Formats: sequence, C-alpha cells, structure tokens
Amino acid sequence: MFETIQFSSLGEFFEMGGYAFNVWSVYMLFILFFFINLYFPLLKKKQIIREQKRRLVVSKESTIEISET
Amino acid sequence: MWLWFSKLGSPKWFYELSGRWLPWLVIPMALLLIVGIVWALLFVPPDYQQGNTIRIMYIHVPFASISLAFFPLMAVAGTITLVWRMKLADMVAKQAAPLGAWFTALALASGSIWGSDIWGTWWIWDGRLTSMLLQFFLLIGVISLRSALEDTDAAAKACAVLSIVGCINVFVIKFSVDWWNTLHQPAGDFSLSDEAANPPEVWVPLVIMIVAIYLFFAVSLILSTRNEILQRERRAQWVQELVEGH
Repeated sequence: MFETIQFSSLGEFFEMGGYAFNVWSVYMLFILFFFINLYFPLLKKKQIIREQKRRLVVSKESTIEISET
Repeated sequence: MWLWFSKLGSPKWFYELSGRWLPWLVIPMALLLIVGIVWALLFVPPDYQQGNTIRIMYIHVPFASISLAFFPLMAVAGTITLVWRMKLADMVAKQAAPLGAWFTALALASGSIWGSDIWGTWWIWDGRLTSMLLQFFLLIGVISLRSALEDTDAAAKACAVLSIVGCINVFVIKFSVDWWNTLHQPAGDFSLSDEAANPPEVWVPLVIMIVAIYLFFAVSLILSTRNEILQRERRAQWVQELVEGH
C-alpha cells in the first residue's frame, strides 16, 4: 500500500506541482487552528482556577473578620 | 441504567472521568495526526485530474464531515436539557456551538482554497456551499441567542429548541450534492478493489485523518466542557477543594 515518496527533491515538495499556495495554506490553517484550539482551553482553565482561588481567599478573610467582630 | 444516567449527569463525575480519559484520546490523536499528515503530504499519489491539490482533501473532508455532527449533538443535548433538566447536557451544548462554528469555518475555508484552483472560483452559490454557510450563521445565531439571554435556564431552553430546528439544515447539507448537481462532487465510494476510482492508498490515509480529527473534536469539546463545569459549579464543595489543591 505504501508507494514511494511522490517527490524527488525538497524543492519539488514545497512547490506541490504548482499548487504550493493552495496546499500549504490549507495545512497552515489547520495547524494554526489545531494549536489555538488546544492552547486556549488550557489557558482558560489556569485563569479560572487563579480567579476562583482569589475569590476563595477573599471570602475566607471576610468570614474571619465577621467572626472576630 | 437510570443510576448510570443520573451519574453521567453529575458534573463532578464527568470531570473526574474525562480527566482520566483525556490521555487515552490525546495519545491516539497525536499519533494518527502525524501518520495521516505525513502520508497525505508525501505518499499519496497526485490525482490524475487535480494533481497535488488532492492533498487538501485530507483536511477538508474530515472537517466537513465532523461539522455535520454539531447540530445533531446539540439537539440531543438540548432534548436531554428540556426533558431531564440535566445541567451537564447544557454545558456540552453551550461549548459545542462556538467549536462548531470554528469547524464549519475551517471546512468552508479549506474548500474555498481547494476550489479556487480546481473549479477556477473561490465561491459558488450551490446547494452544498450555501447550506454549509447557513449552518455557520445558524451556529453564530445559537451563540448570540445564549449571550443575549441573561437567565441561564431560559438561554438553555431557547438554544435547545433552536438546535433541534437547526438539524433540518444538516439533511439539506447531506443530500445537497444529490439533489442539485453542481461543481461540488458527491461523496466518494470507498472500496477495497484496486480498479476502483479510489484505491486504498487514497482512502486509507483519509480514514486515518477522519479518525484523528474526530478525536481532536472530542478532546476540544471535553477541554472546554471541563472549563464550563469549573465555572458553573464554582460554589460546589469539590470544585473549591480542587481549586485549593492547585
């Protein structure tokens, strides 16, 4: 099933038989989308946890203040 | 069965289970993507008509096919929300809408770039392309509907109804290439024989890419649903413990 590599040189590979723009722009779009789509949820998770931690600390401090007075 | 169903509806249970599942989805996804992309770019023979633009198919077809899953998914989640008031189903539906818009946009963009050369045009108003564009706007509609309604319960119900109605468009997309004969080619037939129009060296990497991108969809949806759980359940004991542990 595995035929040989379809390109004889690296230059030919990048040229894509004259379709370099079409082929490479689609693959670039995909790779960009792939990493953005995995990176942003992970970044958001960190933000959520950071924010909720702050909120927890604030609410604890306020309960301590209330109990002291 | 009912115990399992109510357990599945618990955000805490889903959060823990999905955390354990994620590596088993991410590892095959990464492996299949690497194999699929290398195969598609280097080893697939150029098409006798389309030349090397055939390599675009390995991105376009998986994205276009998974794009059709979003409305049925949101409709099922919406029905569960309407009938059983399961919170988790609405969290999945909420996160699926923007993800679906991105997937649909990528299917449209890759198709447009592919068509710009082999059809000689970036866009035509044929059945497949128009109904796909309509799906993109419907998803934008679902997202704006949710952000417009402040009450979470009302927003969940409205979006559930819109998602169920939006499923009609999926049938239009699916059968558009059979109903209207235009530039967009109908779905290919995949068979194992060597004389077939699509020999195995063409469709096996396509199947690999389809599975890889389905896994990518699952991973993306799980990641964003987990964030949604952390936000909506922030007052729950287990979320506060989890946050403190970090």
